Amino acid sequence: MQAIIQSERLSKTFVVRGRRPVEAVRGVDLTVAEGEIFGLLGPNGAGKTTMMRMLCTLLLPTDGRATVVGFDLETQQAAIRRHIGYVGQKGGMEAVATGRENLMLQALLYRMPRAAARRTVDALIERLNLAAFADRTTDTYSGGQRRIFDLAAGVVHAPRLLFLDEPTTGLDPQSRARVWEEVTALNAAGTSIFLTTHYLEEADALCGRVAIVDQGEIVALGSPDELKRQVAGDRLTFGYENASAVEAASAILTGEPSVLEMRVEGNSLQVYVDEGDEALPGLMRRLGVAHVPPKTVHLARPTLDDVFLKLTGRTLHADSEAL
Amino acid sequence: MRDAYLIAKNELLVTIRNPYWLFRGLLQPIIYLVLFAPLLNGVAGVPGFPARNAIQFFAPGLLIMNALFSAGFEGFTLQDKVESGFLERLRVTPINRLSLALGFVLQSSATLVFQSLVLIVCSLAFGLRLDPAGALILLLLVVLIGVTMASISFTLALMTREGGILAGITNTFILPLLILSGVMLPISFGPPIIRTISRLDPFSYAVDAARALVNGALTNPSIPVAFTVFVLLAALALALFVRSMREAVA
Repeated sequence: MQAIIQSERLSKTFVVRGRRPVEAVRGVDLTVAEGEIFGLLGPNGAGKTTMMRMLCTLLLPTDGRATVVGFDLETQQAAIRRHIGYVGQKGGMEAVATGRENLMLQALLYRMPRAAARRTVDALIERLNLAAFADRTTDTYSGGQRRIFDLAAGVVHAPRLLFLDEPTTGLDPQSRARVWEEVTALNAAGTSIFLTTHYLEEADALCGRVAIVDQGEIVALGSPDELKRQVAGDRLTFGYENASAVEAASAILTGEPSVLEMRVEGNSLQVYVDEGDEALPGLMRRLGVAHVPPKTVHLARPTLDDVFLKLTGRTLHADSEAL
Repeated sequence: MRDAYLIAKNELLVTIRNPYWLFRGLLQPIIYLVLFAPLLNGVAGVPGFPARNAIQFFAPGLLIMNALFSAGFEGFTLQDKVESGFLERLRVTPINRLSLALGFVLQSSATLVFQSLVLIVCSLAFGLRLDPAGALILLLLVVLIGVTMASISFTLALMTREGGILAGITNTFILPLLILSGVMLPISFGPPIIRTISRLDPFSYAVDAARALVNGALTNPSIPVAFTVFVLLAALALALFVRSMREAVA
């Protein structure tokens, strides 16, 4: 297994005069293998984007070191740039140029001779099925169309490693599925992928391994399944009409042998158990006997959100838009 | 160099598709030419007026003024490109920062040459008498001023990130530079203090040189002075711009 990204104590502190320095990334050690789809998952402001911007040579680290596609991040930026592709959150299509013109410029900047650049761009437009609007200016595109073009611009030069910064933020479900499909296809063709996301489903659907990022640090790392196994089992949510009923239920279930962990959240009680479907009838009986039967019951397998909640005490999407 | 050319070509293509910027710059100097130059006719007879008529006095300075304004506001286009992520996309490609910076400056210079030619044609229609050799040298001076102002404006754009702040800074500096350059009225009309401060304004040398060049006075000492000043300023400003391009742009 060859590493395509390897970082040691990678750090970034932003200093703005007259304000307290912000430690956006704090000493990150990370190894990503060639061929992986690796995801950084975390809420907005966790430091994911800063981490990615350092690794794709857009931002100088304040401390630590890293190699990307085998080259040193500090001294061999030009070599790194030749082998990586990057699709930022904003995409960066020139608005009054056509999609094809944008791709041509990109190909020429990667030092392709003009004829080869034209062939490559034509083939890419064909393969991604973009011919219908490739010759319209990009300001006429829908969000989904533009995103596929952003992606195309990122892979014009067939990079070994592709960086995607929140590739589907703000897209409709259909466009999101399309982006996922293309990312999976690129990876199947041999491109390593490094992405950031604050969508659990995205990390779950795409990534072989996920690093959960909080306050500039990696707080957990593993495959989505491994991470979910770290969480105490399944989650039962008992819904009540008021907080005092939740308190009563919590008191009753305290000390119950099947209960691993409990958490009060508003008018509901979240109970973590090893085997949800086996534990549920018994717990329902206990609550019924004590005259605090819940209004609603919900059984959920652990999600990455639970992992995040367990590790940080906060939910992942608390500060971003609800899905 | 090929990269700088690619960027400049792409930028020009975009400018031509959206000619607002090309003409926004031209509108103001043309208004000056049509409405302000005739006002000067009354002053032109006053003893001490440094030209034989108003258009001969005002048109050369107008080219300098256009360079000051047109290039001086280029930063706003760059801020749009930061906002759209276009600049970021370019910065991840292997293009070197000098080529990238040169590409933007080259585009602004090409626009400026086009505008200057339009203004020269308009001024001829208003009766300007022009020395052809002097005009060519003047275009060169205009380009140097353009490189200086565009580089400064681009640098400020990257530093401030915000259109409002950029506009504030730009307007604060451009207006005094313009008035003290003697484009509008002869500085010799002013009190000694203004005349002294005016000598600190690099554009006053450019305006003097422009007037000499248009009249074909190619050996006038103001010409080498203006060129020396603006070769130095252009190099300094370009270096600053390249440096800010190397640093992080969010």
